[in-house]
Amino acid sequence: MSASAAGSLAAGRLGAGRSSAGFAAGVTILAVAVLVAVLGPSLVPHDPLAQALAAGNAPPDAAHWLGRDHLGRDIAARLAAGTRISLLVALGATLLSVILGAGLGLVAEANGRWASFVVFGAFDMVRALPSILLALTLMVALGVGTAPLVLALGIAFAPHMAMVARAAWRRETASGYVAAARVMGAAPLATLGRHILPNIAGALVTQAAIVVPRAITTESVLSFFGLGVAPDTPSWGRMIAGAARFAEAAPHAVLAPVAALCVVTLGFALVGDRLRLALDPLREHGR
Amino acid sequence: MSARLADVGLALLRQALLLAAITVAVFALMRVVPGDVVDAMAMEGSLDEEAVAALRADLGLDAGVLAQLRIWVVRALGGDLGLSLRFDRPVAELILAALPTTLALGTLALAVGLALGIALPAAAVLWPRSPFPVLVEAVNLWSIALPTFCVGLAGILVFSVWLGWLPVIGQMLLPVLILGIDNAGQIAKPLHEDLKEAATAAHIRTARAKGLSPARIVLRHLLPNAMTTVVALGGMMLAALIGGALTMEVLFGLPGLGTLAYQAVSGRDYPVIQAVVMVFAAGVVAVNLLADQLQRALDPRLRR
Repeated sequence: MSASAAGSLAAGRLGAGRSSAGFAAGVTILAVAVLVAVLGPSLVPHDPLAQALAAGNAPPDAAHWLGRDHLGRDIAARLAAGTRISLLVALGATLLSVILGAGLGLVAEANGRWASFVVFGAFDMVRALPSILLALTLMVALGVGTAPLVLALGIAFAPHMAMVARAAWRRETASGYVAAARVMGAAPLATLGRHILPNIAGALVTQAAIVVPRAITTESVLSFFGLGVAPDTPSWGRMIAGAARFAEAAPHAVLAPVAALCVVTLGFALVGDRLRLALDPLREHGR
Repeated sequence: MSARLADVGLALLRQALLLAAITVAVFALMRVVPGDVVDAMAMEGSLDEEAVAALRADLGLDAGVLAQLRIWVVRALGGDLGLSLRFDRPVAELILAALPTTLALGTLALAVGLALGIALPAAAVLWPRSPFPVLVEAVNLWSIALPTFCVGLAGILVFSVWLGWLPVIGQMLLPVLILGIDNAGQIAKPLHEDLKEAATAAHIRTARAKGLSPARIVLRHLLPNAMTTVVALGGMMLAALIGGALTMEVLFGLPGLGTLAYQAVSGRDYPVIQAVVMVFAAGVVAVNLLADQLQRALDPRLRR
Protein backbone atom coordinates (compact mmCIF):
# COMPACT_ATOMS: atom_id res chain seq x y z
CA MET A 1 0.00 0.00 0.00
CA SER A 2 1.55 3.26 -1.08
CA ALA A 3 1.67 6.29 1.18
CA SER A 4 -0.55 8.38 -1.03
CA ALA A 5 -3.15 5.63 -1.11
CA ALA A 6 -3.06 5.52 2.69
CA GLY A 7 -3.49 9.29 2.78
CA SER A 8 -6.38 9.30 0.39
CA LEU A 9 -7.96 6.43 2.28
CA ALA A 10 -7.83 8.46 5.47
CA ALA A 11 -9.36 11.32 3.53
CA GLY A 12 -12.01 9.06 2.08
CA ARG A 13 -12.89 7.64 5.47
CA LEU A 14 -13.59 11.07 6.79
CA GLY A 15 -15.77 11.77 3.85
CA ALA A 16 -16.95 14.97 2.29
CA GLY A 17 -18.51 17.68 4.42
CA ARG A 18 -21.31 16.86 6.79
CA SER A 19 -23.64 19.38 8.32
CA SER A 20 -22.27 22.21 10.43
CA ALA A 21 -24.60 20.99 13.19
CA GLY A 22 -22.35 17.93 13.47
CA PHE A 23 -19.30 20.16 13.74
CA ALA A 24 -20.96 22.27 16.45
CA ALA A 25 -21.90 19.13 18.36
CA GLY A 26 -18.33 17.85 18.07
CA VAL A 27 -16.85 21.14 19.33
CA THR A 28 -19.31 21.15 22.24
CA ILE A 29 -18.39 17.59 23.21
CA LEU A 30 -14.68 18.30 23.09
CA ALA A 31 -15.06 21.61 24.96
CA VAL A 32 -16.93 19.85 27.76
CA ALA A 33 -14.34 17.04 27.83
CA VAL A 34 -11.46 19.53 28.05
CA LEU A 35 -13.27 21.49 30.75
CA VAL A 36 -13.82 18.34 32.79
CA ALA A 37 -10.19 17.34 32.25
CA VAL A 38 -8.91 20.74 33.41
CA LEU A 39 -11.26 21.21 36.37
CA GLY A 40 -11.18 17.47 37.04
CA PRO A 41 -11.78 16.37 40.62
CA SER A 42 -12.97 19.82 41.77
CA LEU A 43 -16.20 19.25 39.83
CA VAL A 44 -17.28 16.36 42.03
CA PRO A 45 -17.29 16.62 45.83
CA HIS A 46 -15.85 13.11 46.30
CA ASP A 47 -12.41 11.53 46.35
CA PRO A 48 -12.03 9.26 43.27
CA LEU A 49 -9.91 6.85 45.33
CA ALA A 50 -11.97 6.74 48.56
CA GLN A 51 -13.47 3.27 49.03
CA ALA A 52 -16.65 2.33 50.87
CA LEU A 53 -16.99 -1.43 50.53
CA ALA A 54 -20.36 -1.54 52.30
CA ALA A 55 -21.86 0.69 49.59
CA GLY A 56 -20.31 -1.30 46.73
CA ASN A 57 -22.20 -1.19 43.41
CA ALA A 58 -24.76 1.28 44.83
CA PRO A 59 -26.98 2.75 42.08
CA PRO A 60 -27.01 6.52 41.34
CA ASP A 61 -28.58 8.77 44.00
CA ALA A 62 -28.56 12.46 44.95
CA ALA A 63 -25.15 12.39 46.64
CA HIS A 64 -23.43 10.05 44.16
CA TRP A 65 -24.78 11.19 40.78
CA LEU A 66 -23.56 8.21 38.81
CA GLY A 67 -23.57 5.68 41.63
CA ARG A 68 -20.62 3.78 43.07
CA ASP A 69 -18.39 1.02 41.68
CA HIS A 70 -17.69 -2.43 43.17
CA LEU A 71 -15.36 -0.92 45.80
CA GLY A 72 -17.86 1.82 46.67
CA ARG A 73 -15.84 4.55 44.94
CA ASP A 74 -17.80 7.47 43.45
CA ILE A 75 -18.14 6.90 39.71
CA ALA A 76 -18.63 10.57 38.80
CA ALA A 77 -15.40 11.51 40.58
CA ARG A 78 -13.52 8.67 38.89
CA LEU A 79 -14.97 9.61 35.51
CA ALA A 80 -13.78 13.21 35.93
CA ALA A 81 -10.31 12.10 37.03
CA GLY A 82 -10.24 9.53 34.21
CA THR A 83 -11.06 12.20 31.63
CA ARG A 84 -7.90 14.05 32.57
CA ILE A 85 -5.77 10.88 32.39
CA SER A 86 -7.29 9.67 29.11
CA LEU A 87 -6.98 13.03 27.35
CA LEU A 88 -3.46 13.67 28.65
CA VAL A 89 -2.25 10.23 27.58
CA ALA A 90 -3.88 10.52 24.15
CA LEU A 91 -2.62 14.04 23.47
CA GLY A 92 0.86 13.18 24.72
CA ALA A 93 0.98 10.05 22.58
CA THR A 94 -0.24 11.94 19.52
CA LEU A 95 2.34 14.70 20.02
CA LEU A 96 5.05 12.07 20.40
CA SER A 97 3.88 10.28 17.26
CA VAL A 98 4.10 13.57 15.31
CA ILE A 99 7.62 14.23 16.60
CA LEU A 100 8.76 10.63 16.03
CA GLY A 101 6.88 9.92 12.82
CA ALA A 102 6.81 13.21 10.97
CA GLY A 103 10.10 14.41 12.44
CA LEU A 104 12.14 11.29 11.68
CA GLY A 105 10.32 10.73 8.40
CA LEU A 106 10.96 14.24 7.08
CA VAL A 107 14.59 14.35 8.21
CA ALA A 108 15.16 10.96 6.57
CA GLU A 109 13.53 12.08 3.33
CA ALA A 110 15.61 15.27 3.35
CA ASN A 111 18.79 13.25 3.78
CA GLY A 112 18.39 11.07 0.75
CA ARG A 113 17.73 7.53 -0.32
CA TRP A 114 19.56 5.53 2.32
CA ALA A 115 18.36 7.43 5.34
CA SER A 116 14.85 7.14 3.97
CA PHE A 117 15.28 3.41 3.36
CA VAL A 118 16.42 2.75 6.93
CA VAL A 119 13.87 4.95 8.68
CA PHE A 120 10.89 3.87 6.61
CA GLY A 121 12.03 0.25 6.87
CA ALA A 122 11.72 0.63 10.64
CA PHE A 123 8.29 2.22 10.24
CA ASP A 124 7.25 -0.66 7.97
CA MET A 125 8.17 -3.06 10.77
CA VAL A 126 6.01 -1.14 13.21
CA ARG A 127 3.20 -1.01 10.67
CA ALA A 128 3.24 -4.77 10.11
CA LEU A 129 1.78 -5.28 13.58
CA PRO A 130 -1.74 -4.28 14.61
CA SER A 131 -1.26 -1.19 16.80
CA ILE A 132 -2.94 -2.85 19.78
CA LEU A 133 -0.59 -5.87 19.63
CA LEU A 134 2.44 -3.61 19.19
CA ALA A 135 1.44 -1.46 22.15
CA LEU A 136 0.77 -4.62 24.19
CA THR A 137 4.25 -5.99 23.39
CA LEU A 138 5.91 -2.65 24.11
CA MET A 139 4.11 -2.38 27.44
CA VAL A 140 5.58 -5.75 28.44
CA ALA A 141 9.04 -4.34 27.80
CA LEU A 142 8.43 -0.88 29.25
CA GLY A 143 6.32 -1.81 32.26
CA VAL A 144 2.96 -0.51 33.40
CA GLY A 145 2.51 3.24 33.99
CA THR A 146 1.53 6.51 32.39
CA ALA A 147 4.91 7.46 30.86
CA PRO A 148 5.55 4.01 29.30
CA LEU A 149 1.98 4.09 27.98
CA VAL A 150 2.53 7.43 26.23
CA LEU A 151 5.79 6.10 24.76
CA ALA A 152 4.22 2.83 23.56
CA LEU A 153 1.25 4.59 21.95
CA GLY A 154 3.51 7.26 20.44
CA ILE A 155 5.61 4.56 18.77
CA ALA A 156 2.54 2.61 17.66
CA PHE A 157 1.02 5.61 15.87
CA ALA A 158 4.25 7.17 14.55
CA PRO A 159 4.11 5.33 11.18
CA HIS A 160 0.74 6.94 10.34
CA MET A 161 2.32 10.36 10.78
CA ALA A 162 5.43 9.34 8.84
CA MET A 163 3.34 8.17 5.87
CA VAL A 164 1.32 11.40 5.80
CA ALA A 165 4.49 13.47 6.16
CA ARG A 166 6.25 11.57 3.37
CA ALA A 167 3.29 11.89 1.00
CA ALA A 168 3.08 15.61 1.74
CA TRP A 169 6.87 16.02 1.42
CA ARG A 170 6.89 14.34 -1.99
CA ARG A 171 4.02 16.53 -3.16
CA GLU A 172 5.73 19.69 -1.95
CA THR A 173 9.23 18.86 -3.21
CA ALA A 174 7.80 18.27 -6.66
CA SER A 175 6.53 21.85 -6.74
CA GLY A 176 8.35 24.84 -8.14
CA TYR A 177 9.04 26.78 -4.99
CA VAL A 178 11.14 24.00 -3.46
CA ALA A 179 13.16 23.69 -6.64
CA ALA A 180 13.63 27.47 -6.56
CA ALA A 181 14.89 27.31 -2.96
CA ARG A 182 17.32 24.55 -3.96
CA VAL A 183 18.61 26.55 -6.91
CA MET A 184 19.17 29.49 -4.59
CA GLY A 185 21.43 27.27 -2.52
CA ALA A 186 19.23 26.53 0.52
CA ALA A 187 20.32 23.51 2.58
CA PRO A 188 17.81 20.61 2.60
CA LEU A 189 17.03 20.96 6.30
CA ALA A 190 16.57 24.73 5.99
CA THR A 191 14.16 24.17 3.11
CA LEU A 192 12.37 21.64 5.27
CA GLY A 193 11.89 24.00 8.18
CA ARG A 194 11.25 27.23 6.30
CA HIS A 195 9.16 26.08 3.38
CA ILE A 196 7.84 22.56 3.66
CA LEU A 197 6.84 22.23 7.30
CA PRO A 198 4.38 25.15 7.23
CA ASN A 199 2.80 23.71 4.11
CA ILE A 200 2.25 20.21 5.45
CA ALA A 201 1.15 21.24 8.94
CA GLY A 202 -2.48 21.02 7.83
CA ALA A 203 -2.11 17.40 6.77
CA LEU A 204 -0.45 16.55 10.08
CA VAL A 205 -3.13 18.25 12.17
CA THR A 206 -5.78 16.37 10.21
CA GLN A 207 -3.99 13.08 10.85
CA ALA A 208 -3.64 14.00 14.53
CA ALA A 209 -7.42 14.40 14.74
CA ILE A 210 -7.66 10.78 13.54
CA VAL A 211 -4.95 9.50 15.90
CA VAL A 212 -6.15 11.14 19.16
CA PRO A 213 -9.42 9.15 19.43
CA ARG A 214 -7.58 5.96 18.42
CA ALA A 215 -5.04 6.63 21.15
CA ILE A 216 -7.85 7.16 23.67
CA THR A 217 -9.41 3.85 22.66
CA THR A 218 -6.11 1.95 22.65
CA GLU A 219 -5.29 3.37 26.09
CA SER A 220 -8.64 2.09 27.34
CA VAL A 221 -8.13 -1.36 25.81
CA LEU A 222 -4.63 -1.63 27.28
CA SER A 223 -5.82 -0.51 30.70
CA PHE A 224 -8.72 -2.94 30.35
CA PHE A 225 -6.13 -5.67 29.72
CA GLY A 226 -4.28 -4.55 32.85
CA LEU A 227 -1.31 -3.18 30.90
CA GLY A 228 -2.09 0.52 30.60
CA VAL A 229 -1.88 3.02 33.43
CA ALA A 230 -0.94 1.86 36.93
CA PRO A 231 -3.71 -0.08 38.73
CA ASP A 232 -4.59 2.73 41.18
CA THR A 233 -4.89 5.38 38.44
CA PRO A 234 -8.56 6.07 37.62
CA SER A 235 -8.65 5.84 33.81
CA TRP A 236 -11.68 4.88 31.74
CA GLY A 237 -10.14 1.56 30.76
CA ARG A 238 -9.37 0.67 34.38
CA MET A 239 -12.92 1.63 35.37
CA ILE A 240 -14.34 -0.61 32.65
CA ALA A 241 -12.05 -3.49 33.60
CA GLY A 242 -12.99 -3.23 37.28
CA ALA A 243 -16.72 -2.93 36.67
CA ALA A 244 -16.99 -5.51 33.85
CA ARG A 245 -16.94 -8.41 36.32
CA PHE A 246 -19.98 -6.96 38.07
CA ALA A 247 -21.89 -5.96 34.95
CA GLU A 248 -24.94 -7.98 36.00
CA ALA A 249 -25.21 -6.37 39.44
CA ALA A 250 -24.09 -2.87 38.51
CA PRO A 251 -24.45 -2.09 34.79
CA HIS A 252 -24.27 1.63 35.59
CA ALA A 253 -20.63 1.23 36.61
CA VAL A 254 -19.73 -0.10 33.14
CA LEU A 255 -22.06 2.21 31.26
CA ALA A 256 -20.56 5.49 32.55
CA PRO A 257 -16.97 5.02 31.28
CA VAL A 258 -18.16 3.28 28.07
CA ALA A 259 -20.48 6.21 27.31
CA ALA A 260 -17.69 8.71 28.02
CA LEU A 261 -15.38 6.84 25.64
CA CYS A 262 -18.00 6.67 22.87
CA VAL A 263 -19.03 10.32 23.19
CA VAL A 264 -15.46 11.66 23.16
CA THR A 265 -14.42 9.57 20.13
CA LEU A 266 -17.58 10.76 18.38
CA GLY A 267 -16.62 14.36 19.21
CA PHE A 268 -13.18 13.91 17.67
CA ALA A 269 -14.68 12.30 14.56
CA LEU A 270 -17.10 15.19 14.03
CA VAL A 271 -14.43 17.85 14.52
CA GLY A 272 -11.78 16.00 12.53
CA ASP A 273 -14.17 15.77 9.62
CA ARG A 274 -14.51 19.54 9.33
CA LEU A 275 -10.83 20.12 10.14
CA ARG A 276 -9.82 18.12 7.10
CA LEU A 277 -11.93 20.25 4.79
CA ALA A 278 -10.84 23.50 6.41
CA LEU A 279 -7.11 22.78 6.47
CA ASP A 280 -6.70 20.93 3.22
CA PRO A 281 -9.13 22.32 0.64
CA LEU A 282 -6.98 21.14 -2.28
CA ARG A 283 -6.80 17.50 -1.34
CA GLU A 284 -9.81 16.41 -3.36
CA HIS A 285 -8.14 17.71 -6.53
CA GLY A 286 -4.61 16.83 -5.54
CA ARG A 287 -4.89 13.08 -5.64
CA MET B 1 5.71 -11.98 -17.91
CA SER B 2 9.23 -12.55 -16.55
CA ALA B 3 9.33 -8.90 -15.50
CA ARG B 4 6.15 -9.55 -13.59
CA LEU B 5 7.63 -12.62 -11.92
CA ALA B 6 10.69 -10.60 -10.93
CA ASP B 7 8.31 -8.01 -9.47
CA VAL B 8 6.55 -10.61 -7.36
CA GLY B 9 9.89 -12.09 -6.31
CA LEU B 10 11.18 -8.69 -5.23
CA ALA B 11 8.04 -8.01 -3.23
CA LEU B 12 8.32 -11.43 -1.56
CA LEU B 13 11.98 -10.85 -0.71
CA ARG B 14 11.17 -7.44 0.76
CA GLN B 15 8.42 -8.85 2.96
CA ALA B 16 10.60 -11.79 4.04
CA LEU B 17 13.32 -9.32 5.09
CA LEU B 18 10.71 -7.32 6.95
CA LEU B 19 9.55 -10.42 8.83
CA ALA B 20 13.14 -11.36 9.69
CA ALA B 21 13.77 -7.85 11.03
CA ILE B 22 10.59 -8.04 13.12
CA THR B 23 11.72 -11.41 14.53
CA VAL B 24 15.02 -9.98 15.70
CA ALA B 25 13.38 -6.83 17.06
CA VAL B 26 10.73 -8.69 19.07
CA PHE B 27 13.30 -11.18 20.30
CA ALA B 28 15.58 -8.38 21.49
CA LEU B 29 12.63 -6.54 23.05
CA MET B 30 11.58 -9.63 25.02
CA ARG B 31 15.13 -10.11 26.31
CA VAL B 32 15.91 -6.53 27.39
CA VAL B 33 12.81 -6.55 29.56
CA PRO B 34 13.78 -6.16 33.20
CA GLY B 35 12.51 -9.30 34.89
CA ASP B 36 11.84 -12.52 33.00
CA VAL B 37 9.29 -15.27 33.55
CA VAL B 38 11.40 -16.84 36.29
CA ASP B 39 11.39 -13.55 38.22
CA ALA B 40 7.63 -13.37 37.81
CA MET B 41 7.26 -16.93 39.10
CA ALA B 42 9.65 -16.27 41.97
CA MET B 43 7.57 -13.26 43.01
CA GLU B 44 4.33 -15.25 42.91
CA GLY B 45 5.50 -18.39 44.65
CA SER B 46 8.37 -19.59 46.78
CA LEU B 47 11.39 -20.22 44.56
CA ASP B 48 14.74 -20.04 46.33
CA GLU B 49 17.86 -18.87 44.51
CA GLU B 50 19.03 -22.35 43.59
CA ALA B 51 15.66 -23.22 42.10
CA VAL B 52 15.70 -19.93 40.17
CA ALA B 53 19.12 -20.70 38.68
CA ALA B 54 18.11 -24.27 37.86
CA LEU B 55 14.89 -23.13 36.19
CA ARG B 56 16.79 -20.52 34.13
CA ALA B 57 19.26 -23.13 32.93
CA ASP B 58 16.38 -25.51 32.20
CA LEU B 59 14.56 -22.93 30.09
CA GLY B 60 17.76 -21.87 28.29
CA LEU B 61 17.52 -18.34 29.67
CA ASP B 62 21.10 -18.35 30.99
CA ALA B 63 22.67 -18.27 27.52
CA GLY B 64 23.51 -14.96 25.79
CA VAL B 65 20.82 -13.16 23.81
CA LEU B 66 22.48 -13.89 20.45
CA ALA B 67 22.86 -17.57 21.30
CA GLN B 68 19.22 -17.72 22.33
CA LEU B 69 18.19 -16.01 19.10
CA ARG B 70 20.24 -18.45 17.01
CA ILE B 71 18.74 -21.45 18.76
CA TRP B 72 15.21 -20.03 18.39
CA VAL B 73 15.57 -19.30 14.67
CA VAL B 74 17.08 -22.72 13.88
CA ARG B 75 14.29 -24.50 15.73
CA ALA B 76 11.54 -22.23 14.38
CA LEU B 77 12.61 -22.97 10.81
CA GLY B 78 12.08 -26.63 11.64
CA GLY B 79 8.58 -25.86 12.94
CA ASP B 80 9.55 -26.06 16.60
CA LEU B 81 8.54 -22.84 18.36
CA GLY B 82 9.65 -24.02 21.78
CA LEU B 83 7.71 -24.74 24.92
CA SER B 84 5.31 -22.36 26.58
CA LEU B 85 6.86 -21.30 29.88
CA ARG B 86 3.45 -21.21 31.54
CA PHE B 87 1.37 -23.96 30.02
CA ASP B 88 4.19 -26.49 29.64
CA ARG B 89 2.97 -27.30 26.15
CA PRO B 90 4.61 -26.74 22.75
CA VAL B 91 3.93 -23.20 21.51
CA ALA B 92 3.10 -24.51 18.04
CA GLU B 93 0.35 -26.64 19.58
CA LEU B 94 -1.14 -23.65 21.42
CA ILE B 95 -1.08 -21.59 18.22
CA LEU B 96 -2.67 -24.33 16.13
CA ALA B 97 -5.38 -24.76 18.75
CA ALA B 98 -6.15 -21.03 18.76
CA LEU B 99 -5.90 -20.42 15.01
CA PRO B 100 -9.32 -21.79 13.90
CA THR B 101 -11.23 -19.44 16.23
CA THR B 102 -9.36 -16.39 14.96
CA LEU B 103 -9.67 -17.47 11.33
CA ALA B 104 -13.39 -18.10 11.71
CA LEU B 105 -13.95 -14.74 13.41
CA GLY B 106 -11.84 -12.92 10.80
CA THR B 107 -13.38 -14.65 7.78
CA LEU B 108 -16.97 -14.18 8.94
CA ALA B 109 -16.36 -10.53 9.85
CA LEU B 110 -14.67 -9.92 6.50
CA ALA B 111 -17.60 -11.54 4.70
CA VAL B 112 -20.12 -9.35 6.53
CA GLY B 113 -17.94 -6.30 5.92
CA LEU B 114 -17.51 -6.92 2.20
CA ALA B 115 -21.16 -7.83 1.64
CA LEU B 116 -22.45 -4.71 3.43
CA GLY B 117 -19.62 -2.51 2.21
CA ILE B 118 -20.28 -3.35 -1.44
CA ALA B 119 -24.06 -3.74 -1.37
CA LEU B 120 -24.77 -0.41 0.36
CA PRO B 121 -22.89 1.85 -2.09
CA ALA B 122 -24.16 -0.18 -5.06
CA ALA B 123 -27.75 0.32 -3.88
CA ALA B 124 -26.99 4.00 -3.18
CA VAL B 125 -25.83 4.52 -6.77
CA LEU B 126 -28.74 2.53 -8.15
CA TRP B 127 -31.37 4.46 -6.15
CA PRO B 128 -29.83 7.86 -5.35
CA ARG B 129 -33.09 9.17 -3.89
CA SER B 130 -33.59 6.24 -1.51
CA PRO B 131 -32.29 6.12 2.09
CA PHE B 132 -29.22 4.15 0.91
CA PRO B 133 -26.87 7.16 0.42
CA VAL B 134 -27.72 8.25 3.96
CA LEU B 135 -27.02 4.70 5.16
CA VAL B 136 -23.59 4.85 3.52
CA GLU B 137 -22.85 8.07 5.42
CA ALA B 138 -24.24 6.61 8.63
CA VAL B 139 -22.21 3.40 8.53
CA ASN B 140 -19.12 5.47 7.67
CA LEU B 141 -19.62 7.80 10.64
CA TRP B 142 -20.35 4.77 12.82
CA SER B 143 -17.01 3.15 12.02
CA ILE B 144 -15.05 6.38 12.50
CA ALA B 145 -16.76 7.48 15.68
CA LEU B 146 -17.46 4.27 17.55
CA PRO B 147 -14.46 2.06 18.34
CA THR B 148 -15.26 -1.66 18.24
CA PHE B 149 -14.14 -1.91 21.87
CA CYS B 150 -16.92 0.53 22.89
CA VAL B 151 -19.56 -1.08 20.72
CA GLY B 152 -18.56 -4.50 22.02
CA LEU B 153 -19.00 -3.43 25.65
CA ALA B 154 -22.28 -1.67 24.87
CA GLY B 155 -23.43 -4.78 22.99
CA ILE B 156 -22.65 -7.00 25.98
CA LEU B 157 -24.57 -4.64 28.27
CA VAL B 158 -27.63 -4.49 26.02
CA PHE B 159 -27.91 -8.00 24.57
CA SER B 160 -26.40 -10.11 27.33
CA VAL B 161 -26.99 -8.23 30.58
CA TRP B 162 -30.28 -6.39 29.99
CA LEU B 163 -32.09 -8.40 27.34
CA GLY B 164 -30.41 -11.69 28.17
CA TRP B 165 -30.62 -12.84 24.53
CA LEU B 166 -27.02 -13.92 24.18
CA PRO B 167 -24.46 -15.42 26.54
CA VAL B 168 -21.71 -12.96 27.53
CA ILE B 169 -18.92 -15.43 26.90
CA GLY B 170 -18.20 -17.67 23.95
CA GLN B 171 -20.68 -16.47 21.29
CA MET B 172 -19.44 -15.18 17.95
CA LEU B 173 -22.54 -13.37 16.66
CA LEU B 174 -21.87 -9.98 18.27
CA PRO B 175 -18.13 -9.82 17.53
CA VAL B 176 -18.70 -10.82 13.88
CA LEU B 177 -21.43 -8.21 13.42
CA ILE B 178 -19.46 -5.49 15.22
CA LEU B 179 -16.25 -6.09 13.28
CA GLY B 180 -18.20 -6.56 10.04
CA ILE B 181 -20.12 -3.28 10.34
CA ASP B 182 -16.92 -1.48 11.30
CA ASN B 183 -15.28 -2.83 8.13
CA ALA B 184 -18.27 -2.00 5.99
CA GLY B 185 -18.05 1.61 7.18
CA GLN B 186 -14.44 1.85 6.06
CA ILE B 187 -15.14 0.55 2.59
CA ALA B 188 -18.65 1.88 1.80
CA LYS B 189 -17.89 5.60 1.61
CA PRO B 190 -14.80 5.54 -0.66
CA LEU B 191 -16.50 2.96 -2.87
CA HIS B 192 -19.61 5.14 -3.11
CA GLU B 193 -17.48 8.15 -4.18
CA ASP B 194 -15.72 5.93 -6.69
CA LEU B 195 -18.97 4.60 -8.15
CA LYS B 196 -20.52 8.06 -8.39
CA GLU B 197 -17.48 9.35 -10.25
CA ALA B 198 -17.38 6.33 -12.55
CA ALA B 199 -21.10 6.73 -13.30
CA THR B 200 -20.36 9.94 -15.23
CA ALA B 201 -17.95 8.17 -17.63
CA ALA B 202 -18.72 8.03 -21.35
CA HIS B 203 -19.18 4.25 -21.54
CA ILE B 204 -21.82 4.42 -18.82
CA ARG B 205 -23.65 7.16 -20.73
CA THR B 206 -23.53 4.95 -23.80
CA ALA B 207 -24.85 1.98 -21.86
CA ARG B 208 -27.67 4.12 -20.52
CA ALA B 209 -28.42 5.53 -23.98
CA LYS B 210 -28.71 2.09 -25.52
CA GLY B 211 -31.31 1.21 -22.91
CA LEU B 212 -29.52 -1.04 -20.43
CA SER B 213 -31.35 -1.32 -17.14
CA PRO B 214 -29.79 0.61 -14.22
CA ALA B 215 -29.25 -2.62 -12.28
CA ARG B 216 -27.35 -4.15 -15.18
CA ILE B 217 -25.22 -1.01 -15.54
CA VAL B 218 -24.25 -1.13 -11.87
CA LEU B 219 -23.61 -4.87 -11.77
CA ARG B 220 -21.88 -5.34 -15.13
CA HIS B 221 -20.17 -2.03 -15.79
CA LEU B 222 -19.65 -0.09 -12.56
CA LEU B 223 -18.86 -2.68 -9.89
CA PRO B 224 -16.26 -4.70 -11.84
CA ASN B 225 -14.28 -1.50 -12.47
CA ALA B 226 -14.51 -0.53 -8.83
CA MET B 227 -13.02 -3.85 -7.68
CA THR B 228 -9.51 -2.34 -7.55
CA THR B 229 -10.80 0.11 -4.93
CA VAL B 230 -12.38 -2.76 -3.00
CA VAL B 231 -9.14 -4.75 -3.06
CA ALA B 232 -7.01 -1.76 -2.06
CA LEU B 233 -9.34 -0.93 0.83
CA GLY B 234 -9.92 -4.59 1.63
CA GLY B 235 -6.23 -5.17 2.29
CA MET B 236 -6.07 -2.31 4.78
CA MET B 237 -9.39 -3.35 6.22
CA LEU B 238 -8.17 -6.90 6.82
CA ALA B 239 -5.05 -5.61 8.55
CA ALA B 240 -7.20 -3.46 10.84
CA LEU B 241 -9.55 -6.40 11.33
CA ILE B 242 -6.72 -8.58 12.63
CA GLY B 243 -6.10 -5.99 15.36
CA GLY B 244 -9.79 -5.56 16.11
CA ALA B 245 -10.28 -9.33 16.38
CA LEU B 246 -7.67 -9.42 19.15
CA THR B 247 -9.70 -7.08 21.35
CA MET B 248 -13.01 -8.76 20.49
CA GLU B 249 -11.66 -12.21 21.41
CA VAL B 250 -10.61 -11.08 24.86
CA LEU B 251 -13.84 -9.14 25.37
CA PHE B 252 -16.08 -12.05 24.35
CA GLY B 253 -13.92 -14.81 25.83
CA LEU B 254 -13.19 -16.51 22.50
CA PRO B 255 -10.18 -18.87 22.69
CA GLY B 256 -8.30 -17.46 19.68
CA LEU B 257 -4.87 -15.97 19.01
CA GLY B 258 -5.85 -12.65 20.60
CA THR B 259 -6.75 -14.32 23.88
CA LEU B 260 -3.53 -16.35 23.66
CA ALA B 261 -1.53 -13.12 23.15
CA TYR B 262 -3.32 -11.52 26.10
CA GLN B 263 -2.60 -14.50 28.37
CA ALA B 264 1.02 -14.67 27.21
CA VAL B 265 1.57 -10.97 27.80
CA SER B 266 0.01 -11.14 31.27
CA GLY B 267 2.14 -14.17 32.17
CA ARG B 268 5.41 -13.00 30.57
CA ASP B 269 5.39 -16.14 28.47
CA TYR B 270 8.06 -15.00 25.97
CA PRO B 271 8.05 -17.96 23.58
CA VAL B 272 4.29 -17.57 23.16
CA ILE B 273 4.45 -13.76 22.80
CA GLN B 274 7.23 -14.12 20.25
CA ALA B 275 5.33 -16.73 18.23
CA VAL B 276 1.97 -14.92 18.35
CA VAL B 277 3.55 -11.64 17.27
CA MET B 278 5.23 -13.48 14.40
CA VAL B 279 1.96 -15.09 13.32
CA PHE B 280 0.12 -11.74 13.40
CA ALA B 281 2.95 -9.99 11.52
CA ALA B 282 3.08 -12.78 8.93
CA GLY B 283 -0.69 -12.47 8.53
CA VAL B 284 -0.59 -8.71 7.97
CA VAL B 285 2.40 -8.98 5.62
CA ALA B 286 0.72 -11.76 3.61
CA VAL B 287 -2.52 -9.78 3.36
CA ASN B 288 -0.70 -6.67 2.14
CA LEU B 289 1.30 -8.71 -0.38
CA LEU B 290 -1.84 -10.43 -1.66
CA ALA B 291 -3.79 -7.17 -1.91
CA ASP B 292 -0.92 -5.53 -3.81
CA GLN B 293 -0.61 -8.39 -6.29
CA LEU B 294 -4.38 -8.70 -6.72
CA GLN B 295 -4.56 -4.98 -7.41
CA ARG B 296 -1.88 -5.27 -10.06
CA ALA B 297 -3.65 -8.23 -11.63
CA LEU B 298 -6.93 -6.31 -11.74
CA ASP B 299 -5.58 -2.93 -12.84
CA PRO B 300 -3.19 -3.01 -15.82
CA ARG B 301 -2.24 0.62 -15.20
CA LEU B 302 -0.38 -0.38 -12.02
CA ARG B 303 1.97 -2.72 -13.94
CA ARG B 304 4.85 -0.57 -14.99
